[in-house]
Amino acid sequence: MLTPPYIIDLPSLLEINLVMSLVFFILAISLISLILYLRVHKNFRNQRKDKLEVLLIDFINNYLFNEDFDKPNEINRFIKNQLKTTLDKKVATKQLLVYAENLKGESSAVIKEIFYGFGLYNFLIQDLTQKEWYRQARALNVAYQLDMDIPMDLVDSFINAKNKEVRQQAFLYLIHRSTDNPLGFLDKVTTPLTLWEQIHIENGLKTYEGVPPDFSRWLYHKLTSVVVFNLKMIADYNQYQHIPILLKFLNHKDLEIRLQTIISLRKMEAPEMIPILVENFSKENPQIKKEILITLGEIGLEEQLKSVAPFILQEELDLRVSYLKIARHLNPGGAKEEIDDFKKITMLQA
Amino acid sequence: MKKKILVIEDNPMVVKSLEFKLLKEGYDVVTAIDGRSAMEQLENNHFDLILTDLMLPFVSGNQLIEYIKKNHPNIPIIVLSTATQEDIITNAFTMGVDDFITKPFSPNELALRVKRSIGSFKNQLSDN
Repeated sequence: MLTPPYIIDLPSLLEINLVMSLVFFILAISLISLILYLRVHKNFRNQRKDKLEVLLIDFINNYLFNEDFDKPNEINRFIKNQLKTTLDKKVATKQLLVYAENLKGESSAVIKEIFYGFGLYNFLIQDLTQKEWYRQARALNVAYQLDMDIPMDLVDSFINAKNKEVRQQAFLYLIHRSTDNPLGFLDKVTTPLTLWEQIHIENGLKTYEGVPPDFSRWLYHKLTSVVVFNLKMIADYNQYQHIPILLKFLNHKDLEIRLQTIISLRKMEAPEMIPILVENFSKENPQIKKEILITLGEIGLEEQLKSVAPFILQEELDLRVSYLKIARHLNPGGAKEEIDDFKKITMLQA
Repeated sequence: MKKKILVIEDNPMVVKSLEFKLLKEGYDVVTAIDGRSAMEQLENNHFDLILTDLMLPFVSGNQLIEYIKKNHPNIPIIVLSTATQEDIITNAFTMGVDDFITKPFSPNELALRVKRSIGSFKNQLSDN
């Protein structure tokens, strides 16, 4: 191709300038085209979603409430005409979830029937076997919401998933689907439970309809987080029969476990713990010392509180303040006297 | 003559399902997606029953119930809500609602409760 003479004649600096301008112009046009394409594509998707949602609501209502509705033929017709793409299947799944969330009784079974009828179960299993975490999490959530059976080996593989969302959804599914052992999956947990995951499990248990599990079963789990979680649950579910085991845990080598044990025993108002706490006080770190002080304030005696005062160090200012507050709580009339006592006991002269 | 029901609900799926079910049961159904349009409907039509959510845009369910009790005291009200807290339910009954249905709900059960409320003595009074 021949280059026009007026370009050849240009100085090299201008030539570079011209080429760069051209490159940036093409880049700008490409970017604008891409944005426009994405925008138009999104609009088309949204239009399709809106249209399909209306059709789905109409179809599901007919399926649910219209006795003259030719279910087998209509479902086939709907699949053939409306459920062609992945987007269509996603929209259908979402819409069925909205129905499942709002309706119960005989309608729940019908919603599941439509889900199977649309062939969405295969779509769900497909998602579970994909690598993308959001597809796995979504599929688990759908199975949980619609109360669906899915292969347990697939769910088990998510118990220690790296992605937190997938793991949480797997936990919820397992709790929800269990008939007699909602926390059975804890036996297979090999990576620590995050606080957020513990909250999810706790919430999942609140809606569990069966008998609450015996949480002491996991008190000797190799993961501290699992033990701490179960210690907390023992108190929350008032499993007083486990107090003797918890008393042993007051001398556990793990600080987190000792801390949660004190909190749980305090919640269960177990006075048997007090002598052990008083004895351990001097060896404990400030965080546990504070929990001991709170415990003494709630279920202890003034004398027991005074007995730990000599072991509050001068630099533990927060503990000193807590001590005095608790002392005042135990003996409301003797605030001034308590301060003087404390100074004497701890040898902390002002 | 068909009994007329006003359904006040902002979830399109629930509105459509209720409308479909109640039409099938032989009622006339008018829908409103918020408290404000419900008030307009109440001014222009006579209703035999009101089925309302508590969480509504613009005018809350409680404000709407107060308004209905003040201006149309004989229309039975059924609340359809996700709220399960005892105080919310008690409060609704104190305000004078006739029934409280929690979501998720059974459409057949709802239809039966609608039938019972429409046939209630209070509603007979409003006919007179």
